[in-house]
Amino acid sequence: MKLRQLATGLACVGATLALPPAFAADPILIGASITQSPPGSVVQGTQVKDGMEILKDMVNAKGGVLGRQIKVLYEDNQGIPEKGRAATEKLISKDKVVALAGGHQSSVCLAEIEVAHRYKVPYVNTNCWSDDVRKRGYPEVFNTSPYNTLVSSSMATTLATMGVKRVVAFAENTDYGIGQAKLTGELLKQKAPNIEYKYETLDRASKDFTAAILPLRANPPDVIVMSMLPPAAYIVMNQVYEQGLAPSSKTILYDGGGLADYPDFWQNVKEGGKYLLSFALYHPAMPQTQLAKDIAAEYKKRTGSDVNRLVLQAADSLHLVIEGIKQAKSTEPDKVGAAMRTMKFESLRGVSNFSTQQGYSFQQWLDIPFVNYELTAEKQPVGQTVLIQAPGQKFDPAKIVRPK
Amino acid sequence: MLRLSLDLLANGLIYGCFYALMAVGLAMIFGVLKIVNFAHGEFFMIGAYTYVLVALNFSVSPWLALPCAAIGGAALGWIVERLLMRPLYAGYASWGFMKDEYAVVVTFGLSLLLVNLVDKVVGPYSYKGPALIETSRFALGPVMLTGQKAIATVVAVFIMIALALFLKKSVWGKQIQAVAQNRLGASLAGIDATRTTSLIFAISGMLAALSGALLAPLVNPSPDVGSFPAIKSYVIVVLGGMGSVWGAMIAALIVGVSEAFFSVYGSYDYRDAFGLAILVLVLLLRPQGLLGQKGRDV
Amino acid sequence: MKAGPASLWRDRLAFDARAAVLLCAVLAALPLVITGPYAQGIILVSMYFAILSLAWNALAGYTGQFSLAPAAFAMLGGYTTALLDFYWHVPLVLAIPAAVVSTALLGLVLGKLVLNLSGPYLSLTTLAFAEIARVVIGNSHEFTRGDQGMHVATLTESRLAYYYIFLAALVLVLAVLYFMLRGRLGRFMTAVRDDAIGAESRGIDVVRVKMIVFCTSCAICGLAGSLYGTFSQLVSPELGLLQQTGLVLAMVVIGGMGSLTGSVVGALLVYLGSEWLRELGNVQVIVFALLVILFARWVPGGLWSAAVARIGRKQA
Repeated sequence: MKLRQLATGLACVGATLALPPAFAADPILIGASITQSPPGSVVQGTQVKDGMEILKDMVNAKGGVLGRQIKVLYEDNQGIPEKGRAATEKLISKDKVVALAGGHQSSVCLAEIEVAHRYKVPYVNTNCWSDDVRKRGYPEVFNTSPYNTLVSSSMATTLATMGVKRVVAFAENTDYGIGQAKLTGELLKQKAPNIEYKYETLDRASKDFTAAILPLRANPPDVIVMSMLPPAAYIVMNQVYEQGLAPSSKTILYDGGGLADYPDFWQNVKEGGKYLLSFALYHPAMPQTQLAKDIAAEYKKRTGSDVNRLVLQAADSLHLVIEGIKQAKSTEPDKVGAAMRTMKFESLRGVSNFSTQQGYSFQQWLDIPFVNYELTAEKQPVGQTVLIQAPGQKFDPAKIVRPK
Repeated sequence: MLRLSLDLLANGLIYGCFYALMAVGLAMIFGVLKIVNFAHGEFFMIGAYTYVLVALNFSVSPWLALPCAAIGGAALGWIVERLLMRPLYAGYASWGFMKDEYAVVVTFGLSLLLVNLVDKVVGPYSYKGPALIETSRFALGPVMLTGQKAIATVVAVFIMIALALFLKKSVWGKQIQAVAQNRLGASLAGIDATRTTSLIFAISGMLAALSGALLAPLVNPSPDVGSFPAIKSYVIVVLGGMGSVWGAMIAALIVGVSEAFFSVYGSYDYRDAFGLAILVLVLLLRPQGLLGQKGRDV
Repeated sequence: MKAGPASLWRDRLAFDARAAVLLCAVLAALPLVITGPYAQGIILVSMYFAILSLAWNALAGYTGQFSLAPAAFAMLGGYTTALLDFYWHVPLVLAIPAAVVSTALLGLVLGKLVLNLSGPYLSLTTLAFAEIARVVIGNSHEFTRGDQGMHVATLTESRLAYYYIFLAALVLVLAVLYFMLRGRLGRFMTAVRDDAIGAESRGIDVVRVKMIVFCTSCAICGLAGSLYGTFSQLVSPELGLLQQTGLVLAMVVIGGMGSLTGSVVGALLVYLGSEWLRELGNVQVIVFALLVILFARWVPGGLWSAAVARIGRKQA
């Protein structure tokens, strides 16, 4: 008797699960799986969301696409690959999104593209640098994100040009960090075999790196390369500065993670950020479309911070999906994907299309513009930094400013 | 080589002092309630955030923000004890067997709640806390220090001495010791065990919060900053002997220094595993730790 | 929950078993109503957690060995299968049982380590064991590809088939535990929990009981982890996060520690609840955490026991 009542109760629970998903007939749904709570990088997730929201609002204000408004559905993957897989699955099979964008952590991306590939829904890679994402060769995946080979070869060229002798790299213990550090080392060996290079893996969850930093004090290298992300990256910078190791007249600190334009950069490194040399994917001096400038103005209005490359990358990904929908004149995922594969793509930073070469360049926007600049004053906005390598120019080591 | 060793020793001792503040509070709770507290790291985090936010938003001197953090931690400890910890000892019969499980689940929920609450309310961006002294780096012999590190260490040592005196000499301190030794006996002797436990939680929260505030300029707190000191605190408390305040202090210094040396001469990647391995070894070979009493298991 | 005379114990267990059978029957019939792969996937994952909850309940609830390592053993089981598949292309028919064997052996090791410990000492040791396992796996980039995780082969592409695979595993685990508890071993387990020294003096081989339960519990966790790895086709160190263990504990405590069905009910409710909370968007985790605290604090004994007691009262 008791059991029957229990059974009824359980059946009711089951029945509620069988309710059909809410219909979303009017707006076009685009999915975004980002990090919105720890242990992943909530800072990155927030910037991605901001970028996509700004573009979405602009597009909707002009009437939307194909006469319909755009809606972006955000799911929180917490920076965990398994949660990313589940979130992507939900967006595709339950919410029936047209396409996905916004992925910003390589390990999560790798899990998510499997789902996108299985369901054949376009997936725009916003900020996953790992070459492995491309190497899988899935036709559903469109890579507008910077890629490790690009960054590493640029860094290797820079290091070779600087004419230094010893380089030490700090890499976070993730696919991105180790991937970048290793690749930079390999490419550097090809370009300048006489430069001594080694990398240290650091735990991104740790808060104290003095043990890795102290042994370098006896014999400081010429360049310390950072392949790390916040918040560990900020702590490393602070501690390297506190120990008097870098930036110094002998040792340059060189960042390969695009830290300098994060909104919380200066509040976290204070005086330790001065003289940082940075590989960067955004600088106001780079050629930009009017749309990019509008986004920059809107971002400043909404958040009070200057725009940065991650915000633009996010907006770019959404922009790509919208262009795909326009070109395909449809919201069927496969038609949109087909359009995206062949169209010439006016991104926020220049016209491009996707390469079809296998390997790290598969469906990757290859000619992502970049610069190298140096921060020369505390709280310096990116626009006032010293360009060591202007857009399209060569890296000029003579311009490097060193502390006394 | 010598210089490196001195560097490591100095840094190990400095961080050891900060860990000690955290671990001592945990040792006290352990001694009294014998529970595993998943949320201890979050007291650290709340302390760090209180310090940073008070100093930044109210433009007060960091020296004023420090006691604010202490008060915040104490208040949180008190509230947690009042609302959530009573079932552990206030005679709730149905929880008699499930004491440990209850403590873990409730503190797990609390930890999750605090981390995400701070993340949503304050925001995910980390902050470098304002230093107590604006002196930048300076050299003390062969070792490089910053003003913050030096001053914070002095403050930490001062607090620990104050705590030791409080426990030994004051009436409340003696009551705490009595309850820790034998709860039933203490209440038979007329001590209000429940109120004393509230006091212990408040002190524990205060100490962890102060540890967070002192470390705020060094570790750039973000909402999940509490997890790294939490595990270390367990290692330290076990090594020092559960319930022993002196043991926790000494063990903290040992852990700080040995971790520093291991990560350089052993392996950096497995540094955390090293600390945990110490924990396991101590529990197997000498469960009462350095200064705990034998036969203290439940 | 107290071990009473043998017949009372068996009666409770029999009721528990009947309820469990009914629950499994409902789960088996659900796909007739719930046809979408997404919803089926959710129930499937909650069954994964149900298996972990049962394993932990057997170890902690019935035998008093309050381990904090269930998620870590699921991770170890998953990685065993993943490594065998990735490096030596071992077919899953062998790789999954291999995971069970490896975690059973590791469970024996852990059991031996904590043999003389109890209470918070035991918990901390198992916590250390779990964290060491996770750190080692997460940092061994050359072997395990670190945070990126490892790709795993799958048994079948069909979501529905996997649903029934997990259900079958759940039924198997329930059966194994039922038979363990039904015999003398069951009463020995609770005797060890209630008073280990007294049990020893009554002639119970406490060491043997503990080792058997550790071995079984960890093997079950390994099985769950291995199956899950083949389902999601990905294993990563996050499977073994302490947060996941906390979730399992919450499920058992909220569901009710004194019964097998309680664990399953707890797992279903907590996991389905957390998925449903997704609708709330941003505050999802906060609300979840609040609910966990509220239930743990104010619904002692777990929801299942409370429900059973209320229905019992209505009958009387």
